[in-house]
Amino acid sequence: MAKWGMVIDLDKCTGCQACTIACKSENNVPFGSPEEQERRIDLFWHKVIAVSNGEYPGVNVELIPMPCMQCDHPSCVPVCPAKATYQREDGIVMQNFRRCIGCKYCIVACPYGARSFNYQEQEDREYLRPDLPRDFGLDTKSYIGPWPFPHRTHGVVEKCTFCFHRIDQGLKRIEAGEDIKIGVDVVPACVEACPSGARVFGDLDDPTSNVSQLLASRDFIRLRPEFGTEPKVFYLPQ
Amino acid sequence: MEATYTSIEGKSRQYYLALGVLGAIAVAGLASFAVSYLQGHQVFGSSNVIPWGLPIVIAIYLIGLSAGSLILSSLTYVFGQEKYKPIARVAVFLAIVLIFGAMVAIAVDLGRPEKAWRLFMFFYLNNMTSMFALNGILYGGYFVISLTYLGTILANKPKLTRPIGIFAVCWAALVHMGTGAIFGFIATREIFFSPVKPFEFLAAAMVSGLALLIIAVYATLRLNGRSVSYEIIYSLRRLLAMLIVLLLLLVTVDKLTHIYSPSRDAAMFLLTGRYSSLFWSGQIGLGYIIPLIILVHPRTSKSITWILVAAASVVVGIFFERLALVLPGLAYPLHYYPGHVEGVWGQVGSFPIMPVEVVLSVGMFAFLGVLYFLGLKFMDLLPPPEPKPTREPQPAGEPAANEAVPSGE
Repeated sequence: MAKWGMVIDLDKCTGCQACTIACKSENNVPFGSPEEQERRIDLFWHKVIAVSNGEYPGVNVELIPMPCMQCDHPSCVPVCPAKATYQREDGIVMQNFRRCIGCKYCIVACPYGARSFNYQEQEDREYLRPDLPRDFGLDTKSYIGPWPFPHRTHGVVEKCTFCFHRIDQGLKRIEAGEDIKIGVDVVPACVEACPSGARVFGDLDDPTSNVSQLLASRDFIRLRPEFGTEPKVFYLPQ
Repeated sequence: MEATYTSIEGKSRQYYLALGVLGAIAVAGLASFAVSYLQGHQVFGSSNVIPWGLPIVIAIYLIGLSAGSLILSSLTYVFGQEKYKPIARVAVFLAIVLIFGAMVAIAVDLGRPEKAWRLFMFFYLNNMTSMFALNGILYGGYFVISLTYLGTILANKPKLTRPIGIFAVCWAALVHMGTGAIFGFIATREIFFSPVKPFEFLAAAMVSGLALLIIAVYATLRLNGRSVSYEIIYSLRRLLAMLIVLLLLLVTVDKLTHIYSPSRDAAMFLLTGRYSSLFWSGQIGLGYIIPLIILVHPRTSKSITWILVAAASVVVGIFFERLALVLPGLAYPLHYYPGHVEGVWGQVGSFPIMPVEVVLSVGMFAFLGVLYFLGLKFMDLLPPPEPKPTREPQPAGEPAANEAVPSGE
């Protein structure tokens, strides 16, 4: 079974936020009004933070793009009382909106602030782009995911899914005999959108994948390792 | 010694007035719940930084009051201290009302309250590693056990009451320790994360439950013309002072542990940051110091009025203790990366006071008041108005048996 991971090269990242925008448009995450942003009740599946060290003129600012870390040992999964948050076999931490009761315990437990609560009825009610087929051709009966919950409702928690729908679609195409590779031809929206090629996506279990080779060739860090969550998003420092 | 109990008649103007006012506030609370359900939680003060607001604070506060109240009823029914008998039934009844209120408070804090039943699908739809799911067992079981306990007490079955009482008291202790574990087991929030939390919660529960019991018993007996045994209140006063000292010790250990390690930023935020007044004035001042001074001072400790002031101060102070845990614990920003996180992602969370949330909170308390008053009217909870009872206790279990009871007012 593949284990999907992401490598973000901080040396190449320019902080253009194309990943944030691509995520918002791919998953139809509402943009949020200025008032919502002031109160911090807007939704973000992906964010870019700026971290400064030192004081002017000796100041250093690092830009850290932060999707969900898709931890190997997530702290959000064991706290969910309703089995709404769970880990797929390929390591992606999913949120099932049908099961979610909105207790927000996972937001409290996540060390990366990767989760947002839906504080109001949103205008963009579809989780998907309307130009794409609703179920992506997936078997919705056996499949437990955000779909087939048809609309975005207020009162549930949302998070980044590593664009699992793209991955699953890609796997179907591979099964059907197409010659494509996930991580090269099929990548999450944020990876696809990155203009400087700072983000790489692939299978961590496959030693020939580009993520494995990057991690083998360069020094890498993971965020907040002290929690033992084993994130599957790796950063190559500047 | 055979103590007897009656209900109050509940036909006076004041009774109906109190019921009416509380009922109106409760209806306003229900209306604000409807608003929050239709509009979403944007009408609350909570945000993605501080996802838990007043309803959760009230929930853990009420659970504490409830567990404390029930544990104190054991003085009579488990340890056989006859002098506390006049207040024991009220204590159990109060515990049931309060745990019901706590469950309501948790339900209204859920984003999808219509799915609250999922919290009670133990081992089937629930993830039993979650402290919330485990507490579902504890709260639900507690509710059932306390109802049984009250049933055996009302039915005058002392042989049954004692074992059920022991079980109920142990369960009540677990209930509040489980509530502490909801917070204490979360490593992400440094202010929450502490092995002392369950014990701290248990001590806080007993302190606040005892204080509320003193007030409730005094007010109920006094307003209904029952004679108040000052001896009870004096001995409860000593117990209260001891429990406050215990709680103060536990809190001190908890905070000292957090301050001692070099990664003390979160603890220092609690003690000096934006919400530090909640901690110092509310929790430490109102909750511990003021009542302790009143309770040990040779003059004030002899006065019933002062003891009541101290108890009220504790009840308010413990509410601040809950606030001073939830708000600073969540408001302290997460440090995603070494250094200073700039802009909105590194800001300390703010918690605006929103009208809908406040009305909802007050409404919940009013609703509990309504339940309490109705219980006094329809169940035999209080000692009879005259010091010398002439009747056998109601052979009861049947709450409606109050029709034949002599007038209490």
